[in-house]
Amino acid sequence: MQARRHFLGHTLATATLLSPWGRMSVAATPPQDAASNRFVLLILRGGLCGLTLAPALSDPAFAAARGPLAQFSGEALALHQGFALNPLLPQLHRLYGQGELALLHAVGLPYRERSHFDAQQLLESGGQRPFDLNTGWLGRAVASAASNSGNRGNTSKSGSAMTAVALQTALPLVLRGADGVDSWAPSVLPEPTPDLVARLQSMYRNDPGLAQALARAKGLREDPGMAGNMAADPTLAAPPGRTAMVNLGRKAADFLQRGAQVAVLEMNGWDSHANQAQAQGATSNNLRTLDALLGALREALLPNQTWGRTVVLVATEFGREVAVNGTLGTDHGSGGAALVLGGAVNGGQVFTDWPGLAAKDRFEGRDLRTTTDLRAVIRSILGDHLRVSTAALDQLVLPGSGHLKALPLLRS
Amino acid sequence: MDHPALHNKPLACALAAHRFGLGQARCADVGDDAVAWLLAQLGPADAPVGGALASSAQGVRQYAEFIRLQQLERRVASAATASAAATGAAMGAAPTPMQAAAAAAAAAASAPPKAVSTVAESAYGSGLRNTVVADQRSRLITATLSQRPLVERLQLFWSNHFTVSLTKPAVRGLVGAFEREALRPHLHTTFETLLKASVRHAAMLRYLDNDNSAGPESALVKRLARRPAGAEQRPATITGLNENLAREVLELHTLGVSGGGAAYGGWGGYTQADVTALAAVLTGWRVPARMLVADPRIDQAVRFDPQWHQPGAKTVLGRSHAEGPDALDQVLHQLAQHPSTARFVSYKLVRHFVADEPAPALVAQLERTFLDTQGDLPSVVASLLKSPLAWSAQLDKLKTPEEFVISTARVLGLGESAFERAPDGGISPLGQRLHNAASPAGHSDRAEDWLGPDAVWKRVEWATRVADRVGRRTDARALAQQSLGPLLQPSTAQHLDRAADGPQALALLLMAPEFQRR
Repeated sequence: MQARRHFLGHTLATATLLSPWGRMSVAATPPQDAASNRFVLLILRGGLCGLTLAPALSDPAFAAARGPLAQFSGEALALHQGFALNPLLPQLHRLYGQGELALLHAVGLPYRERSHFDAQQLLESGGQRPFDLNTGWLGRAVASAASNSGNRGNTSKSGSAMTAVALQTALPLVLRGADGVDSWAPSVLPEPTPDLVARLQSMYRNDPGLAQALARAKGLREDPGMAGNMAADPTLAAPPGRTAMVNLGRKAADFLQRGAQVAVLEMNGWDSHANQAQAQGATSNNLRTLDALLGALREALLPNQTWGRTVVLVATEFGREVAVNGTLGTDHGSGGAALVLGGAVNGGQVFTDWPGLAAKDRFEGRDLRTTTDLRAVIRSILGDHLRVSTAALDQLVLPGSGHLKALPLLRS
Repeated sequence: MDHPALHNKPLACALAAHRFGLGQARCADVGDDAVAWLLAQLGPADAPVGGALASSAQGVRQYAEFIRLQQLERRVASAATASAAATGAAMGAAPTPMQAAAAAAAAAASAPPKAVSTVAESAYGSGLRNTVVADQRSRLITATLSQRPLVERLQLFWSNHFTVSLTKPAVRGLVGAFEREALRPHLHTTFETLLKASVRHAAMLRYLDNDNSAGPESALVKRLARRPAGAEQRPATITGLNENLAREVLELHTLGVSGGGAAYGGWGGYTQADVTALAAVLTGWRVPARMLVADPRIDQAVRFDPQWHQPGAKTVLGRSHAEGPDALDQVLHQLAQHPSTARFVSYKLVRHFVADEPAPALVAQLERTFLDTQGDLPSVVASLLKSPLAWSAQLDKLKTPEEFVISTARVLGLGESAFERAPDGGISPLGQRLHNAASPAGHSDRAEDWLGPDAVWKRVEWATRVADRVGRRTDARALAQQSLGPLLQPSTAQHLDRAADGPQALALLLMAPEFQRR
């Protein structure tokens, strides 16, 4: 493993990305294909263990530091630079081989405490400190695209402003801050009549919160292209097991195929304090679900070549301690791993400024040190793929992140 | 008592019924003095309503039995697929007739692997699952029927502050017992009493992994490490600390996250070293599952096991605590009396009852009372109820799905019937999975988390279903006047008057802003 080397070749790309001239021209005349690009954010809640997702096999300290967690259910799936993927992720490994998936390692937020709730707030708000901001970076990015298109407020069908959908009942923080956000989850309840909905809308004249939510939900169901009759699919109402997650991934693809540009999904249960490597344990099952979900998402995006215009970011709130804890799990840490995949991704490579796993190289002697700011990853995707302007990224979407270098995550 | 709302008696009664209660069919029942009505409710919680309620010791046994059958089935299934001879051996190893019967049933059905969990599922159906369902139903029915809705609101608040969740399988069978044993008997005592009961309950010890946390130098870990190493020897599954409970006690239950609460003067004030030290203090507090299974007379589901305890003194927040079981009491006392705890808990109470963004002056009032009374909970709640700042006529809070469903059942007088078809009253599809909070922080207490388009749409669907069932025999217009009083807006009254039929009028009432908010 050669630490701190991989970024050296990218100075030129960085300079181009930060060029104000290049960015201005983009803002003035958005290219034809900007609106057809797709972005999916998958949030893994609970703190994904980066070294379980992607073990650093050739780090000299790996085997000793990880002990029983260095054993996997099969042979780890080799990547470059001495990294590998967990053997429970065969589809993701195939995507890596096809150049459609990149691994980011030793990546994290500008946050060094170990609270799930503060870290998740930062992951979604994009602020510099927890609870500085009460809207989300993706919501603000969508809002900035809407205002750029001069079409604020009419976002659902114009094609010139961005549309976003959350595949869950509660609207996640990351999408708050934009008008044009839908949320959708399977239902087992009866549909209200259009007459009742119209009367409710009239009754909500003085309650903007309820009025807006109802209008969005109604719009989603009226647009035959968006909701279809998927609500009747009983498998979608299952609890969020593997089948339900896979179906939710397909539903997200359905929205994206029909015009939504942004989709947000989440998976709970990554807080692996115990039995992290157990073959039938929660973490192993989550990894299998992750592989199945992303595989199904890709498959459903292949028609119309939508996958070729898609970037998926898989991110978590923090990594975990390097050392195994007293119950064959790991406790909360800081640096971890993230995945970027999609047909538009410059994949088949590992992006990392590897700090090393030896105790002296860890943060506070405990955690994988964060050497890549997750916000740099987000900036690269939002800027290059969704054409959010640098000015908007600096001031609005991810304030205080202007100094971060972009990463060449997308195919040029 | 100089807030205008308090001088308008009907308005104060309506606010008392909805903001501090769970909705009343007639807000006039509150009487002329809303504050007195609420204060009179403070005291020990009523006995929970419902049958088949298991104690934590019974819950532990039910879960152990479920796991035992599940493991037996796995063994039998794998043996069956290997060879008939191997199947015979596995069955021969089963020591009781019941196990043999279970093994035979599983073996007979185990040709396709899908049938593997049949017997364990049926055991779950008869024992553990009944407990899980009875717990959910009891929580909802008790709140729906209560004549002291403020106490039930406090129960909802504290069970969210001290979240335990079925998302962790080992907690199955224990969540209701936690509410009945750790919370309900102590709602009228001190925060310290409540904290000690919660942290030391079997459900909490299991939910946040303390059940398997051992001192790295404990007798148990030393013994496990001495086991002879062999080719098939699996690594010891218990080798040291698990910090999960310690961190959440500090961050979520007492001091609040370090660096948080700046607008209120700040809370928190602990370090990673305090987390580790508290985790060491907590070692040994466990659920003695084997003892409970072996002897059905034992009803203590938690005991301190010195074999698991980390030897030596531990320093938490600058204070040293000697080795042994007494240290936990001392540390929890220290945490309960800490100024950060007073501030953080006061903030959460005000946020729950009054506003998503609580007024700092009101938080400060509660905090002062908390400190003056060493966390006497009735005094703290009384200082909230007596503050004019708590009685704004503005309805800042959106009801959670659970509050919405319970208040609907109360206002419509549905009683237990509301929870016959679905044990959770249909709350889960509204986005709040009952007894299944996604994280130890519990369900959100902020409107923005419940106001997503899909969440609001599902409330409309839910209201539609209720209205279809009872709307024809309900006069929604009269109900709106009686239940909401002066909170009823002219626009809403007009929409109810003009509704197409009874069910539509009722759906409109249930979804009206002044019924959705409080």
